[in-house]
Amino acid sequence: MTQKKIWPFIAAVGSLLVLWQAASFLYDDFILPDVYTVFSSMLFERLWEPEFLDSLQHSMFRLAVGYPIACLLGAMLGLFAGISRHFAVYLRSVIAILQSIPPITWLPFLVILLNFGNLPIIIIIIIASFFPMALSVMNATEGVNRTHIELARVLGAKRGQLLTKVYLPESLPAFVTGAQVAFGNSWRSLIASEMVGGASVGLGRSISFAGEIADMEGVIMHIVIIGFIAVLLDHVVLERLKRRLLRWRYVGQSSS
Amino acid sequence: MQKLELQQVYKTFGDLNVLEDVNLSVKKGEFVAIVGPSGCGKSTALRMFAGLEFPDRGQVLADGKPITGPDPSRTLIFQEHALYPWRTVEQNVIFGLELAGMKKTETKERVERVLKLVGLQDFASYYPSQLSGGMKQRAAIARALVMDPEVLLLDEPYGALDAITRMTMQNELIDLWQGSGKSMLLITHDMDEAIYLADRIYVFSRRPGTVVREIINDMPRPRLRNDARFLELRAEMMEHLQI
Repeated sequence: MTQKKIWPFIAAVGSLLVLWQAASFLYDDFILPDVYTVFSSMLFERLWEPEFLDSLQHSMFRLAVGYPIACLLGAMLGLFAGISRHFAVYLRSVIAILQSIPPITWLPFLVILLNFGNLPIIIIIIIASFFPMALSVMNATEGVNRTHIELARVLGAKRGQLLTKVYLPESLPAFVTGAQVAFGNSWRSLIASEMVGGASVGLGRSISFAGEIADMEGVIMHIVIIGFIAVLLDHVVLERLKRRLLRWRYVGQSSS
Repeated sequence: MQKLELQQVYKTFGDLNVLEDVNLSVKKGEFVAIVGPSGCGKSTALRMFAGLEFPDRGQVLADGKPITGPDPSRTLIFQEHALYPWRTVEQNVIFGLELAGMKKTETKERVERVLKLVGLQDFASYYPSQLSGGMKQRAAIARALVMDPEVLLLDEPYGALDAITRMTMQNELIDLWQGSGKSMLLITHDMDEAIYLADRIYVFSRRPGTVVREIINDMPRPRLRNDARFLELRAEMMEHLQI
């Protein structure tokens, strides 16, 4: 995150914590524990319990498999659609259908077909997150500046060079935005499918279990952690990557 | 160096008649301008020499041979500078040499030389977004010059610049051209620009574009923009443009 965004972000987190703390005065401790109780038990105990680490590891594994596959698949479909008009029309209809069905609804179908475990969840991650990538890359390749292409041709570019030296760098920003949107989708669908019973271990499963046994501390802790991981990956890791890849977009701005 | 010719060229885009029986030529080492109202097809004529458009009828020739596609010996400088925003000035200038597979060690000196020529030696590592309009167009010219082309095709290169920058750039262009032996073909709707720069001026009609007048400009250089002969040529041009 950049300097300019970091203070507003801290303020946003702070105001949520204040709300929570204020609300905790109105309820009994076992219904709504206060900020300090949850954070101290989280940081000094529960984060290090083997059950928690195990569920974290399982979730991260599913993400680490599903998300890159979704990005790659989306990028390839998008590039191909950028070149072929017919395929673009086809891909848009597929995406329109898939977008109108919440990805999580595929879970019972996939569980019956493939049994519980990693596979159905990974497939749901892919269904949920390949299309932002595909759409964004498709639009970018369709919208490549004509003058940029002609210029390369005038200077002697061959077909392959057009692809690597004009199309690819020109659609790079779209790859990055696509990847960021896809990450949000991946993360949401991962947690959701774990919650509704796609697997017996995972962050989503742990939070719904904590809910079943009325362990409010556990519920809040998971909410905090799920949010924290998403912010870390999206706003720190992906954002850094974006600034490195698209350095030319940020030159001359105060933060670079 | 190349001689360029359009012989009885016709071109339509769909129902639109763009060029009708166009005949023109650029001799080796000559500076020629085409002036005409906007939409008269003058850019299309230029793009034919660049190998980006082809005539429906007639011939487009370079040294007597038909042009079949783009060739680095004839470089087009676009209306908008068309620099790649993700490349620095230096990386933009090097682009054509990179496409030709030239090694970094060979290109370095050439790039430095042309950057100096256009006065951008201190801006090599800048991105286009950090440059002014005039500097961007200078970078685009450097990118064309580094290829050492025989022909420079200029498509309203200074159209987007303010009047003062434009005049400075016109002087720079004359300096670059004089003694280089390169043939220049300039498209413009700025009559003064054509008279100031060109040896010969073709005046195009409204669409469908065709040559309505060929003006030989014998004024010695450096030319004065308020010279009597300058104004005379201008009046002649205006008459044929029906303004």
